Amino acid sequence: MTPSLPDILIGHAAALSAPQPPESSGDYLAGRLGLLAMLSVLAAQEASRGVAVRIWENGAIREVFASAAAEYDPAFAGALAKAASATDEDRTWAALDDSNDSLRRLLIRLHEAVETRRDSALDREILNLYQAMAKARRLELPAALAG
Amino acid sequence: MSLAAQLAAYLTRQSGAPTVVENLARISGGASRETYRYDAVAAGERKGFILRRDPPGSLIDTDRRLEFLAIRSFSGKAVAAPQAVVLEADGAELERPFFIMERIDGGAPSSPFALDQFAGYAGEIGEQFFSILGRIAAEPLEGLPILDAAERPDPADCWRRELDYWAGVIEADEQHPQPIVRAAIRRLRANPPPPAQRVSVVHGDYRSGNFLHDGQGRIVAILDWEMAHLGDPLEDLGWSMDPLWSNPADPRVSGMVTPDEARAIWRRASGLQIDPKAMAWWALFASVKGQAIWTSAAKAWRDGGFVEPVLAFSGWYTARRQDEILADQLCAVQAA
Repeated sequence: MTPSLPDILIGHAAALSAPQPPESSGDYLAGRLGLLAMLSVLAAQEASRGVAVRIWENGAIREVFASAAAEYDPAFAGALAKAASATDEDRTWAALDDSNDSLRRLLIRLHEAVETRRDSALDREILNLYQAMAKARRLELPAALAG
Repeated sequence: MSLAAQLAAYLTRQSGAPTVVENLARISGGASRETYRYDAVAAGERKGFILRRDPPGSLIDTDRRLEFLAIRSFSGKAVAAPQAVVLEADGAELERPFFIMERIDGGAPSSPFALDQFAGYAGEIGEQFFSILGRIAAEPLEGLPILDAAERPDPADCWRRELDYWAGVIEADEQHPQPIVRAAIRRLRANPPPPAQRVSVVHGDYRSGNFLHDGQGRIVAILDWEMAHLGDPLEDLGWSMDPLWSNPADPRVSGMVTPDEARAIWRRASGLQIDPKAMAWWALFASVKGQAIWTSAAKAWRDGGFVEPVLAFSGWYTARRQDEILADQLCAVQAA
């Protein structure tokens, strides 16, 4: 998912160092700083959970691939089995996101194939996975800063 | 030369009378264009205006002429649209294309994220909010300025045109694979809605956060017409009721009225019916459209050098919240 935490932190530096014309001071500047404050709180959440969430999501997708691999034609089943057996040795943000990118692309292909076959059981399993993925990546808006 | 000086020079040339620009200040909101408030002072008379100027990078790539003509289509009518004054599509005098409209004073913006912001007058605000939306849906198209710029789709094609457009935005701007929204797009294509009851003006971004209210229960202006087009009026209803604009712990739409009340108010004001199958389609579509906008925001933020925090917020927090909504909707559709 974009933006990544490093992107957000780079964005803070870029936003705070960008020169603002006189007409962009006052309420507009206050609103801009408020947004940066909110992004800082969200960044703290991501810093504390982001790596664990990525490792969990990659593992959960691999589990679906492992259970589905035998159901499909040899070429696709091979790709699913290969992805299912991989592990995340490099646990940097960039490596985990690269791995997640490949897994999500394969998950999209698998879901399309599942829909074509009208495999409602696996369809439900994938939709439940989507729900869990989205929930795991949730960012909590700080109530004190909202509004 | 400062923006204030450039604007004063433009206004002086336009009106033929020396004009001074005072109190020029950028304001938040309307993330697809830079928005400024200012006072124009000429011949001792002071008047308030809003300037909308194309930015170097934006949340939504929209047609400024369409926005200008949409506002003009409803200026002076019972939908609280401001008066559109002038459009400069070339825009050389302010470096980028822009348009100007009269300023509506005496209102504060609503926020899509504030909790219980309408306190003791939530019902009155909700009644007006969905009545105005119903009136936009019911407005006869003949003679409206927006017809000069907006394509009029066949009622049976409204859904396809919108879905094609926003699916294309995701295809073009996605930087990390998004299986959830792609699944939703496939479900929408496989289960199209019935044809639109009528083709109406669609505001395109009608929601909490895009109106001004007086703090005592009265809506004074509907803002941000930048995604206006012609289409199925249920599109606006679906968008306005997307869970993104509501506190998950509050059963009311945007803290105003319940979903049943919202639909009833809209039906009364529009004279139209709400087919449940069509409404379900447009509700899921609203989340797809939202995710497309947040995807574009993330790309615009990156392409623009990470400078605008509103784009980061939209492309990060809002995108993730929209994914949750989409996943819940897909599970509900599958279970039905």
